[in-house]
Amino acid sequence: MRKAASFWTSFVVAVAIGLVCYRLSAADTTKVEDVAVVVSPKNAVQSLTLSELTKIYRGERQYWRTNLPVVILFRTPGTYERDVVLRTIFQMTEPQYKQYWVSRIMRAEATSPPTEVFSTGMIKEGIAAIPGAIGCVRASEVRPDMKVLRIDGHLPGEAGYPLH
Amino acid sequence: MTKPRCVLLWILLLLAAGGAASAQTAAEPGPSEVVNALLTRIDRLEQRVAELEASKTPGSTPAPQAPGTASEENQQSPATKIHEHDEDQSSASVAEHHFPSMHLRGFADVDFSSTDEHGTHSGFTLGQFVLHVASPLSNRVAYFGELSFTAQPTSYTADVERSIIRFDYNDYFKLSFGRYHTPINYWNTEFHHGLWLQTTISRPEMIRFGGRFQPVHFLGMLAEGHLPSGPLGMGYEIGLGNGRAGTISRAGDTGDANNNRAWVARVFARPTGLRGLQVGGAIYGDDITPTPALTGNPRFSELIESAHIVWTSETPELLSEFANVHHRDTLTGTVYNSQAYYVQLAYRLPWQQRKWKPYYRFEYMHIPPTEPLFSLPDFQVKDLVQSTAGIRWDISDFAAFKWEYRHTKRGPTDPIVNGAFVQTSFTF
Repeated sequence: MRKAASFWTSFVVAVAIGLVCYRLSAADTTKVEDVAVVVSPKNAVQSLTLSELTKIYRGERQYWRTNLPVVILFRTPGTYERDVVLRTIFQMTEPQYKQYWVSRIMRAEATSPPTEVFSTGMIKEGIAAIPGAIGCVRASEVRPDMKVLRIDGHLPGEAGYPLH
Repeated sequence: MTKPRCVLLWILLLLAAGGAASAQTAAEPGPSEVVNALLTRIDRLEQRVAELEASKTPGSTPAPQAPGTASEENQQSPATKIHEHDEDQSSASVAEHHFPSMHLRGFADVDFSSTDEHGTHSGFTLGQFVLHVASPLSNRVAYFGELSFTAQPTSYTADVERSIIRFDYNDYFKLSFGRYHTPINYWNTEFHHGLWLQTTISRPEMIRFGGRFQPVHFLGMLAEGHLPSGPLGMGYEIGLGNGRAGTISRAGDTGDANNNRAWVARVFARPTGLRGLQVGGAIYGDDITPTPALTGNPRFSELIESAHIVWTSETPELLSEFANVHHRDTLTGTVYNSQAYYVQLAYRLPWQQRKWKPYYRFEYMHIPPTEPLFSLPDFQVKDLVQSTAGIRWDISDFAAFKWEYRHTKRGPTDPIVNGAFVQTSFTF
């Protein structure tokens, strides 16, 4: 009887330690970071709702209020920023995203999918060169010459910010 | 075994198991992992460069900048400005637009059919081979073309299905000229000739290619855009064009059949809060001068009213449309109304990577027996009651197999036809 109690006590302790280790390692691998929506400082827009941002990224809204054409700079597959944008803005998987743009182009609603860039530096360069450009970068990688937009009234790092 | 030893043994066993598992997963990174690692490295290197640049330039900071506090040009040193100028030069290549810049895409399908209809043969058919050309001509001007090649008994027919040049002013006003799929119907402007995009093998009868119930094509001009409607997400399309040719299944590509232009107006709503829902309606007007002419050479004024409600989330998918075609004989003043509708239900199954999608469609079409235009042998449109049941299997992200059974009843004296159909459709 005493042996059995000892066995089960040790079993429960071991499982508990295992679970804690698992949680710690899981938390380490899924590092959550806010993704900032950035535009050119020349762009007059200061904030967008998540719904407006969705329309822009889905190509349903192709012009800023000043009639400036929107140019989306989108990170290549496999990047954290792209995963966050697909999950929170498009609410699509990677294949669904590709199929979405095939159908938009065949409906003559767009001529190509958003421009894909390989690094945050390329987004920075694009935003500096194209007044209507918009991109998403990790909040920790925002550069001084990027204007960060408020989304639903929140900046990255604030409670209630939706892109992470 | 003492209690502490026992606990230690359990911990060691668990850690060993965890370590073995992680070592197994990390043993051989795949190509995507290598790419991800390289992308992460690029980001880190870029960040490091930015930090080094910031440390060289006193007063500048890489911290996130809140909106409304933009004073970046005043804060930058001359050295930074020179560097920025250099970057601006290189940045032109990041998202440089070349005009024109042609993008090509294709759709194709291969079909098999077998029915119990008298006089038909089972067998394979090559479906349409469709090429799309999209090319921006400037930031606000774009061209779109759609070519189809269709197998015929003795050769292939090539058709310019769509050819559109569009000028954008803003999201609220875009003006285009060319040959369109008439925006009178949801299906016609949603799936076009991309059979891979549509769930089923075939189009609904009311808007099938080569059909006569509704004008599938429209040659002329079209204004389109958003309507200021907030979360309702409303849009419009208003067109003016040649309308139906003398052969009513064709658009007046080489000129109108009479001096009366066709017009079309469509309004739809895609509510922001209910993504996937679209509700809309359209109205189309034209004067038809049939060729060959009917006895007495009558013309027919045509007015088509249509409505649709769709839910495209796939879990479930609902497509539903209704149209009433109103013809008035200009000689006698007699009015004829023909109706058609369909309801299509589908559901993307959650298992096996969501590759399977069963569907069902019911179609109905009623033509008054005295309808003179749709009763002529050259223009004939028959009553229809049809059920279609099938399943779609997405074998890849860009190719699908579809198996379909159809049960069709036409006029009162026509036999019921049952058929089995298989199709593979894809984009490339």
